[in-house]
Amino acid sequence: MTDNNDNTTAETDGGTGIVAPDDETPTWSERKARKTGLSRLTYEYFERSRREDQDLRTESDYVERDVLGFPTWPHETVRNLSIASFFVGMIFFLSATLPPHIGPPANPSSTPAIILPDWYLYWSFGLLKLSPVNPELSILGGQKLMADRTYGVLANVVVVGFIAMVPFLNKGSARRPVEQPFWAAVGVGGVVFAFTISVLAVQNLVPMNIDLLFDLTFLLPIVAGIVTYAVLKTMREGYMYDLNRRYYRLRPPR
Amino acid sequence: MSLERKDDYDHNAWLQEKDLSPVETTFLTALIWMDKRLRIVDYLEILESLYYRVNLQMPKSHTEQYNLDNKFWYWYPLYTLGLFSTLSYIVAAVSGALLGFYYSPATTGDPTTAYTQIEFIMTELQFGFFLRSLHRWSAQVMVAAVFLHMLRVYFTGSYKEPRELNWILGIILISLTMGFGYTGYLLPWDQLAFWAGQIGVEMALSVPLIGEWAAQLVFGGFTLSQATLQRMYILHVFLLPFIVTTLIAIHIGIVWVQGIAEPH
Ligand code: HEM
Repeated sequence: MTDNNDNTTAETDGGTGIVAPDDETPTWSERKARKTGLSRLTYEYFERSRREDQDLRTESDYVERDVLGFPTWPHETVRNLSIASFFVGMIFFLSATLPPHIGPPANPSSTPAIILPDWYLYWSFGLLKLSPVNPELSILGGQKLMADRTYGVLANVVVVGFIAMVPFLNKGSARRPVEQPFWAAVGVGGVVFAFTISVLAVQNLVPMNIDLLFDLTFLLPIVAGIVTYAVLKTMREGYMYDLNRRYYRLRPPR
Repeated sequence: MSLERKDDYDHNAWLQEKDLSPVETTFLTALIWMDKRLRIVDYLEILESLYYRVNLQMPKSHTEQYNLDNKFWYWYPLYTLGLFSTLSYIVAAVSGALLGFYYSPATTGDPTTAYTQIEFIMTELQFGFFLRSLHRWSAQVMVAAVFLHMLRVYFTGSYKEPRELNWILGIILISLTMGFGYTGYLLPWDQLAFWAGQIGVEMALSVPLIGEWAAQLVFGGFTLSQATLQRMYILHVFLLPFIVTTLIAIHIGIVWVQGIAEPH
């Protein structure tokens, strides 16, 4: 052997001179040292975020207690099991008592008087009936920019898109509706609109003047929103006093 | 020098000096014998730490930490709606799999095979009437539960940082849930199904630019045919189940990692 092995240590390599690589996991800084560019930045970030976590942990005045809430077993588990069986039982009960029926077989040559999807798609169906508010542009000589149906499909996209945007429009640490009457009002308005637009979808089943129904579809959500706003604004003062005293003193809003 | 191998941890000597009862000696000898071969101790250790973790007590809750008086937070019952969505999804999946044994998506014949198969399920199959009912109702209940779950997330402000991604995932989930409902609605191929499908085709066609392509892709043409029913069937029993199950798992996984947003 050419290398100057220390003969007093036990030979673990069976005299072959082949030594297994040590199995110590390199630390983040070791990995970082071998890297360049993006991966290096990634490692640096990992290191930073770990340090940050550690700092937060040491800073925290989190109080441990002797008895800490309910144990998972049996309390939580039994509770969840009973809720689950009750709920599944409810579905079975509904199925047994109110079974669905089946209509006449498909017949492409006779259009039925009432065409409807299941109730949970009424809102989308209703959005297809917005032709009265499809703007007629004078620039196009009173023509509509889009076909009514395209307009309806676009309305679907707008509604779903708006809902998806909510977390990016409303930020901060407030959680209760009283803390943010405006957003609560938007929510209530939205729910009422989901209902009224669904009713609009089944307009030929509603014994009401169609124009009145159309107006109510948009007015009711707005009214509901304003009422919500007013009520919450009124409640807010007394409520916030308590909340501020107890909570924000300990955890200032961001 | 003795040829006998010296044991650093001479377990036998340790056993001698312990002065054990025969039962204990037998147990320990067996344990050591097994452990030398199978490293059981490692697994026992894992079991032990699992035992402690299972019995871990929950950290002090937010409400307690900030001394919100252990007031009953009046929306807590609504926090179970996500569980309800999951449960009704499972019920729908099981009953749907059973229905799948008897249904076939064919528009041949008059009335069509699809329609007569549903008729068969409802009139001749043991428990078939109930099975179809169960599938219907669990689907309806799932949509309702998902919608109400979304409302509870909205009104408790639970979608805020760091849960924005879960909210968007939720939007995708509710859309796919409705897609489930729509594709399933078409399968009986009765009048309602057929004309709801007609509206779907028209909606697809009215999308600018990609309308015709979308109608071809989803409905297999511009008029309803065998291709439409078959596509609805595959969407309903193959594609959507895979996608939705995966997304629900991710959705709940994220909740697991991030924890439930506690009300303030
Ligand atoms: C297939 C549909 C869905 C299933 C199975 C599901 C399941 C769950 C479950 C089990 C939870 C745990 C907390 C709870 O039960 O309330 C949860 C939380 C959550 N879900 Fe869903 N969900 C679905 C759809 C949605 C939708 C449509 C949204 C919103 C657009 C959404 C957004 C959220 C958010 C943001 C959380 C975290 C809430 C918190 O931390 O308090 N989910 N989901």
